[in-house]
Amino acid sequence: MRRSGANELLLALLAVLLITIAYAAVVWWQGSLPAASDWLGHSLGAIGLFLMLMTETLYSLRKRSLSARWGRPATWLKFHIFTGIVGPYLAFLHTAWKFQGVAGAVLLLTGIVALSGFIGRYIYTAVPRTIEGAVMEEDELARQIEALEAELNAGLSGQPQNLWALAQWLGAKQSSSSEVGSVLGRAWNDWRETFIWWREKRRFNPALRPALNRLEGYIRRQQQLQRQRASLAAARRLLSLWHTIHVPLGVVLFLLAFVHVGAALYFATFLH
Amino acid sequence: MNARRLGCLSGTGLIAGTVTLVILGLGIWLGGGRWFSPGDLNARSGAPLGGVTSHAELAGNCSACHVPFWSADTMAGRCLSCHTDIQAQLQDPQSLHGGLGTQLAVSACRDCHTEHLGSDGVLTRVGADFPHEVTGFSLAAHQQNVETGQAFACQDCHLNGVQTFEGQVCADCHMRLDAGYLQQHIQTFGNACLECHDGVDRFMAFDHQQTRFPLQGAHQVLGCDACHLGMSTMAELVNTPTTCYACHAQDDAHQGQFGTDCAACHTPQGWKPASFDHNATNFPLTGGHLGVQCSACHVAGQYAGTPTTCYACHAQDDAHQGQFGTDCAACHTPQGWKPASFDHNATNFPLTGAHGTLPCVSCHASGTFAGLSTACASCHAEPTYHQGLFGLECAQCHTTNAWRPASFNGAHTFPMGHGGAQTCSSCHTTTLSTYTCYTCHDPAKTQKEHNKEGITDLSNCARCHPTGQEGDD
Repeated sequence: MRRSGANELLLALLAVLLITIAYAAVVWWQGSLPAASDWLGHSLGAIGLFLMLMTETLYSLRKRSLSARWGRPATWLKFHIFTGIVGPYLAFLHTAWKFQGVAGAVLLLTGIVALSGFIGRYIYTAVPRTIEGAVMEEDELARQIEALEAELNAGLSGQPQNLWALAQWLGAKQSSSSEVGSVLGRAWNDWRETFIWWREKRRFNPALRPALNRLEGYIRRQQQLQRQRASLAAARRLLSLWHTIHVPLGVVLFLLAFVHVGAALYFATFLH
Repeated sequence: MNARRLGCLSGTGLIAGTVTLVILGLGIWLGGGRWFSPGDLNARSGAPLGGVTSHAELAGNCSACHVPFWSADTMAGRCLSCHTDIQAQLQDPQSLHGGLGTQLAVSACRDCHTEHLGSDGVLTRVGADFPHEVTGFSLAAHQQNVETGQAFACQDCHLNGVQTFEGQVCADCHMRLDAGYLQQHIQTFGNACLECHDGVDRFMAFDHQQTRFPLQGAHQVLGCDACHLGMSTMAELVNTPTTCYACHAQDDAHQGQFGTDCAACHTPQGWKPASFDHNATNFPLTGGHLGVQCSACHVAGQYAGTPTTCYACHAQDDAHQGQFGTDCAACHTPQGWKPASFDHNATNFPLTGAHGTLPCVSCHASGTFAGLSTACASCHAEPTYHQGLFGLECAQCHTTNAWRPASFNGAHTFPMGHGGAQTCSSCHTTTLSTYTCYTCHDPAKTQKEHNKEGITDLSNCARCHPTGQEGDD
């Protein structure tokens, strides 16, 4: 999940980089920022809004369509993330650094909603899901944990005694944070565990490194499942809370965006 | 709550949307279009136009300037509905905006004028393509800042925005270039540079036509410094020499050969065409000379002292190879080499009689003219008829009118004119050394008469009849 999530982020950042280069070239060529009301400025705004509309609608529709066969929800989520980054960035460039009135409010909300989207994505990934994107229940998590324990024991058979000791020591080294803390702080926990494993593995003979790596995979997956199992309820509550905040923000954002576009069309179309 | 329902249709979504619309509606109701303004309008006050003294007073009233895209009205039209002075300018090509209208095909005020840039934002923003001359000051001489080597930027002169110009800017900059000159210049003319200068060193409001040297022709487009270079006082300007040569000595293609009165031939319209009166010289142009280029005679720009003799130019044209001397005009005229009018009577062989009608080559074969013999025999060979009896002095018997009649005055034993004979050949039918009487006298009858007397030799009649009479013995 982490690896697939990085792809759309990288693509989005690459798109942002290319757009920035093109925008900078235009600024250099014409000696000033493209005004929001000129051809390029309007184009940036229109494309940005279009991407934001896709962000807001397509993934939600796909999630709610039980019979739909066009793409897995996870793929639509990637597209949602991509357009959710590139669209607001185009809208930001469209402003030409003017943040006044409805247009300014729209941009401010765009930033807030985009940031909220990152937070939501972080909470969303705390909830364990099947490869199809369906939420795993607690009993499924328990079954996976047991299966991993069996694999771990089988993997350790025949290994030196000190590896058994390490596995038992690290397996018992669970974070003691609260359920909510476990959800919000899992990035920190991941980093901390990575550091601990790196430190401990250095103490062993390099010849044992492959066995240590396999051991790390089993134990860290097991710990992750255990944390998810322990914080499953909290993660669902946080996700629900996030929806409660994110959705109204999105509604306000698009209402104001439509009003802004309507006013621009009425008063400033072609500026004739 | 239905989990399948879109978020925007959720309770919180609907509430948020409703609240937003209510707040927005209230805002628009109370503040007009301010919510949609991309920036504050300019607050600089001026004369009342359209009921307001600044654009800022129009804040919230978007339609004061903006029109829906389907409207027949335009933003420029809204501008001009208040700025009636600009509307009037557009009808006058001599005005700033009227001039712009013709030069840039300006269709919208916003090509140069901006808004929503803040209460103190600029209202006029022009680019490097702005035809500055329509303001009355051309940038033709201000393309590059000599101090920086860079192209001039608007703010180099318009320190406080393009709509204003502080005249001191001229002096500040030019003082750094030539302080001595400018100080004297300002002392003489004052520091209101733009009252005289328009950027291409043309005096504005100064009527050169009222001076003692009205500008005509090419002089009208010259920069002042073309004639008044380095002059910084009125005295220097007024005393600028007015003779052509004072300025144009270095332009004299004739190198002084025609003197210094350029206007005798040239006009202020240009050096060419020139109207030199060659007839006023000692060599008036006539005939073929009128149609040739000056350089045909005045080689290498040499005018004064050009020889006036024909031979000076036409020596190489002399078909006679000098046999007639160098006075071509004795026979030829400027109209052309032909026809020529040679006076043969002025020679030692005046042409008389039949000689007067002969072509020259009858005597002057091979183009030889000089040194020919005047003796008849040099052209006329002695005829065999004469039998060498008379020598080569043809003129003793003949005239130039014709060979016949001839007038022989020498010894002739038999009476000439016998029997009414008119010509020598009446008796001397074949040669002058022989004769016959039987041209007139019937031989048969003569023989019959002489037979009576027993005379049979009838070949030499004159032996018995020396006078031609019947009774001769």
